[in-house]
Amino acid sequence: MGDIRQSLLPRDVLSAAKELLYHLDIYICNLVQSGRQPPQVDAKTLELVEEFILHAPKDRNAPARRMSALQELQLLEIMCSCFQEQSRDTVRQLMFSALFSLQGNQADESRMSLLGKLVSMAIAVGRVPILECAATWLQRTHRVYCVRLAQVLVDDYCSMVPGSVPTLQNIHSTSPRFCCQFITAVTTLYDLASEELTPPLELLQMIVSWIHDDPRLVLITFLNTPLSGSQPISSLDVTPLGGLVRWCVKAPLAYRRDKKPALTNGSTESEAEAGPLFSALHLSVLQVFMLLPNILNEKGLFGRLALLQMESLAALTSDLSRLLDQADKHAHTSSAETHVLSQLALDRLAQALQVAMANGALLCSREDLRAICSRLPHNNLLQLVLSGPVMYYNNIHTPPLTFSPHSAHSPIASHPTHPAHAPHTPLATHSSSHPQYTTQPFMTGMPFPFRPSH
Amino acid sequence: MLQGRAMSVVFDVSSLKAMQSSHSLSPQTALSAQELSQEIKSFISGIDTVQGRKLSVREHARCAVRLLRSVPACRGAVLEHLRGVYDEHVSAFLHNLEAEGDTGSGVSSNLEDIIQEVHGVLSEFIRLNPRAWAPLVSAWAVDLLGQLSSKHAGRRVAPHSCSLNELLQLWMSCAATRSLMETYSQCLAAMLAWCPDACVDALLDTSVQHSPHFDWVVAHIGSAFPGTIISRVLACGLKDFCSHGSKDQGLMVMGVDKGGRVPKIGSVVGILGHLAAHHSDSIRKELLRMFQESLTPSSPLSPTSSSTSWESSPQLWRAAIPFLLQLAAMSPNLFGAVSAELVDLLRPPVLLQLQALLQGLPREELDNMLGLAVHLISQSPSGGARVLRFLADTATPASVIISGPTPAPHEGVREGCDRLLQMLLLHLHKLVFNRSDGVEGNPHHSASSQPQRVIPFLEELQSHVGELCAETLRLERKRHLWLHQLLCLLSVYGGPSVATEALCQLLTQARNPEELALAWQLHTTLSSCMAGLIPAAICRCVAEIHTHTLGPKQLRQLLLNLAAAIQSQDEEKRGAAGPQSSMAMQVGSAVSGHLHDFGPLLLHGDPAVSHAAVRLLSCSPLPRTSSPAHLLLLSRAAVTHFFLALQRRGEGGKEGREGGQAGEAVNCSVLLLSRFAAYSPLTLKAVVQQLVEGALHKGNADLFGGQIADMSGAPVSSPSVFPDLGASLLDTNCRFGTSVNFSGSVWSVFHAGVIGKGLKVRTETKLPDPSGVIQNIQTLLAVIVQCCSSSGLNGSQPPSDPDEPLPINAEAAKVVAVTLVENICPDVANGELSWPPEEHARTTVERDIHIRRCFEAHPVLFPLLQVVAAGRPALCYCSAVLRGLLATLLAHWEASREMSSIDSPWHLQATCLLVSCMGEGQLLPPVLANVHEAFPHLMPFEVRLLLLAVWEYVRANGPMPQKFVFSSEKGLFCRDFSRDGDVARYVAPIHSVLHKNIDRLGHLCWRFQL
Repeated sequence: MGDIRQSLLPRDVLSAAKELLYHLDIYICNLVQSGRQPPQVDAKTLELVEEFILHAPKDRNAPARRMSALQELQLLEIMCSCFQEQSRDTVRQLMFSALFSLQGNQADESRMSLLGKLVSMAIAVGRVPILECAATWLQRTHRVYCVRLAQVLVDDYCSMVPGSVPTLQNIHSTSPRFCCQFITAVTTLYDLASEELTPPLELLQMIVSWIHDDPRLVLITFLNTPLSGSQPISSLDVTPLGGLVRWCVKAPLAYRRDKKPALTNGSTESEAEAGPLFSALHLSVLQVFMLLPNILNEKGLFGRLALLQMESLAALTSDLSRLLDQADKHAHTSSAETHVLSQLALDRLAQALQVAMANGALLCSREDLRAICSRLPHNNLLQLVLSGPVMYYNNIHTPPLTFSPHSAHSPIASHPTHPAHAPHTPLATHSSSHPQYTTQPFMTGMPFPFRPSH
Repeated sequence: MLQGRAMSVVFDVSSLKAMQSSHSLSPQTALSAQELSQEIKSFISGIDTVQGRKLSVREHARCAVRLLRSVPACRGAVLEHLRGVYDEHVSAFLHNLEAEGDTGSGVSSNLEDIIQEVHGVLSEFIRLNPRAWAPLVSAWAVDLLGQLSSKHAGRRVAPHSCSLNELLQLWMSCAATRSLMETYSQCLAAMLAWCPDACVDALLDTSVQHSPHFDWVVAHIGSAFPGTIISRVLACGLKDFCSHGSKDQGLMVMGVDKGGRVPKIGSVVGILGHLAAHHSDSIRKELLRMFQESLTPSSPLSPTSSSTSWESSPQLWRAAIPFLLQLAAMSPNLFGAVSAELVDLLRPPVLLQLQALLQGLPREELDNMLGLAVHLISQSPSGGARVLRFLADTATPASVIISGPTPAPHEGVREGCDRLLQMLLLHLHKLVFNRSDGVEGNPHHSASSQPQRVIPFLEELQSHVGELCAETLRLERKRHLWLHQLLCLLSVYGGPSVATEALCQLLTQARNPEELALAWQLHTTLSSCMAGLIPAAICRCVAEIHTHTLGPKQLRQLLLNLAAAIQSQDEEKRGAAGPQSSMAMQVGSAVSGHLHDFGPLLLHGDPAVSHAAVRLLSCSPLPRTSSPAHLLLLSRAAVTHFFLALQRRGEGGKEGREGGQAGEAVNCSVLLLSRFAAYSPLTLKAVVQQLVEGALHKGNADLFGGQIADMSGAPVSSPSVFPDLGASLLDTNCRFGTSVNFSGSVWSVFHAGVIGKGLKVRTETKLPDPSGVIQNIQTLLAVIVQCCSSSGLNGSQPPSDPDEPLPINAEAAKVVAVTLVENICPDVANGELSWPPEEHARTTVERDIHIRRCFEAHPVLFPLLQVVAAGRPALCYCSAVLRGLLATLLAHWEASREMSSIDSPWHLQATCLLVSCMGEGQLLPPVLANVHEAFPHLMPFEVRLLLLAVWEYVRANGPMPQKFVFSSEKGLFCRDFSRDGDVARYVAPIHSVLHKNIDRLGHLCWRFQL
């Protein structure tokens, strides 16, 4: 593979890149067919990619070859069709990672930029294979880069080109896996810490409608991923649940804060629009939690895998208490409103905690909860949750006190080291006992299987 | 319930989505993924993938716009493609222009709607999301503009890049560039709010890249956002300057080579230069603000300081002043805008700050800055005078005595200014002299090709020569040295006209010898390179006199200074001949050429001026040749001035100083008249004649004790000496035939009065001060004698003995005589020289009485007669007057019934003087002439007897000039009485009178021996 460099050198930028892609395809096919395990693209090839596709300067003296935007577009188009036409998933994945997996060198910048464009274009023209590959990429890459990719997409579709939101909206049907990873990245990106980190309204609407339409969407990655030890450190969470809970809990206060500095019509309007959206989102999140026991049981992970982690919860509660303090400080004029909003936030937190615990997404003791919630102001519901009945009522299949404290706090617990438990168990017997929860109204009077009866 | 709420929310969401998509901006419905993919393929290949044919430019562009609206990833490619479309349009546009539009609007109109479409889409995007789009589009637009304008700059229709307005007009009439410009403006308007530095940076970068062709864009943008652009451009320039400067280890190094080392400052200058046309005020404000803030970095002066960051870094504000200097050096426009107000800003506190700031700089950097500042000052086209005054004021050392307009500046500041000023002078010196060297040194090379270099500073100062001279003459410590040096430079620079003006000003303004010396110093310096300076200067002064631009004081000073200059010549003659002597001579000769111009000043209304004029004229040499008209005018003026001076002496005699001045004026006047009379026969005649006439003139008569017979108190006037009183006689004559009440006789009006009305009432006239009168008469006589005795006329040789007074010149005396006759006796009847018998005198009674009255009225006549008598044979020409006077005296003595002649003192005196004069004039032999000695002792009758003898003698021996012979040993004309008839016949009555009164006249007997 390394020997083709000499033949590539005299070509013009575009045809060199095309040729390299062609050779890369052949090379990877050969690699896969040779059956060597694990199939590994060698360093020489990666260098060629960097030189002829990403145009990273090989050495300081050589003039950097650059593609014009048109040539780049042609390249992207070729890549799209290349991935589209490649029928073998493995080859595609290998090729994608040869092109786009980060190497920690200079070329990463152009790699990210090209990737952003490729994914953005794939979304536009509906190239499912690329989106699938990108979903995998999002699983394997450090979250910082994932967030960057999400940022590019959000910029492209939600702010730059007006009226292109529907295109992005389509991804949940074209590639649910990508969609799920996208949601995770977006919730990681926008943590509502500042105005810049507040999701655009279009994005929020889109996500709410996705999850509302299909709550399982957020679990797709989790469902489709064999839980192996190969999960890279600092990658995105397996599910966007943590981020979504954070959104719902912080939103009342965060949006209120936004309104404070600038009393423009826009912000109040967005608040007015965003409020109901977050309510809907919260509901959906809770519903997703309630899907969990079956799935976890199927996987045999119930009580062993915490989809919500204590660290992120602790961070959330401390953020929340800070926000509440701020709200109190600034609430001279509309203390009533502030109070309502703070209580809403606390209510949501309590609901999420309760439901998550009850459904095995959160593995911790009440003591731990009390510890992290100690600084929060009083809230009836939260009080109830914190001092509530013992949790072995939660699940009849699990004996009480199965959770060792260490499993709740150590990262090992969230990523079980024993993949042997991962194999799909037959569908939980309970799955049939939860008919169509999405359409089932959540009424207080209704019997609810997981609800502890008082 | 919660669920229900969520559902409703969901409905809201979906409705919202629906709303969004319906309100989506693209008119076409959203394309499917498949279609988009096709679209991209078409876009890339330029071929319609469905129909398989090539896309037209227009369709291709449409396709690009569709992609822009729907596929975010294509943004870059689309914009790149659109570049081509814009370029195409510009080409077509220019082609159409070149083809004079004969093909109409074929291609261009097709593309125009596309461009319109693109413009619409882009501006919509920018409006909706400025933060995302404005940086992107602005970078694209500005780059494309730059590319288009430099690519098409060479086209035939494109105006040359220096005619900015035409360029602007051309490009703004092209749809593509106009729309780009609008888009860019929109972006900029949006971006200025949050990242102004970045966009101006980009603008500058592009401007550098496409230099002159891109200027129209900057100019347009600049005038659209003047305030921001100006301050941003400056800030960027400073930042760039600063970073380059620190790299180059010395900020001012770039001042030397203006090449590409500092790329941005050039375009900063260019941009500001364009904007200066319409926004010079704001540019000036910005520059000055920058200057002020660089001095006081911590002060919250500017409201914008929060947004501009340059104030924050100490390195930046240290570089601000060098930067401003550099800017000014590169653009005269900017410099001109700032320089005027900068000087006003430099008040003492600011100077202190400036000094504190500059102290921190290394030595060579300071030197560079100083050099630059000097260069700037020398190139400044306006305000040079103010700068100079400021520098001189500040650099002048503090003094206890002289307190300038500003309080004494800090010592360091003063030294700095001193240094600056000296360097400026040195620099100017180099410029001035190199310049003339270049032109004169090798005329073959430079004369045709290189015009003389202009030095704006000096150019401007040329109009302030007067002020400079005044400043110089204040002789303040070092200041006048500087200014004097500057004056020299200015004169050399400006050539003869400026030099003469300077000299002229100095001559006019100097008030004492020290100050006047500056003028000579200037002349000495300049004389080496300029000839004929002094004559030119004098000419100029004369011109100023003619145009009355000088006030009396200045005029006086000028005249005095010139006089002093000429007089210095005399001193030099005595002492060692210095450099001034030649100059004094030059002044003298120059003045003498313009004497007739100075002459009228003698009669200037201001005594001081006339005094100064007489001083000048009295000491200036007389010209070799001069036209008679000028001479006559001058002599008239001189004489008139003489009498004026006498009058002034009389009036001002009481007060010490003025009296002295008046006395000096008289002396000068005498000197002038005598020198003038000696100049030529013509002038002699004129002067003498006018002196005599003037002495007898009504206005001057009282100077010499004359009494004008004023008979205004009488009911009817009588004929008088003065013609203007004759009007009343005319009156009488008119009434002559018409009046009814004659009183018996026709001749009822007589000199003594009207018959029947008694004697005329004599008005009391104030008697003048006798001593003054005597002094005046003495002066007059001295003048006349001096004039008459001067050797101007027929070249009588000077006497051997210098103590002996020169003899009166006969011709001059004749002039006096003739003038006297004309004035005393206007009636020319019986004007022959020979005398008739005594009885015939009664035919001329009227005239004789007139003559006598004349002598009565003018005591000065007798001395004048004596002068005439001394100039033999001139007295002959007074014959008629003598005769008339003698006749009336005879009549008087005949009618007198007094006991002694002493009882009619005036007549006695007149008789004595008359006879003695006739003796002196040799009309009478000595025997007869001596009779006047006896008169006081005789009775009137006896006097008459003796006078009759005199008359008889003269009648028999007529007073003819031809009887006189020139005796060369005496240098006089003499009459040999022996050739005349026997005297004895006439001596007989004398002897009998002697005989009769021998008791009293014994001692006189020897006088009457034959």
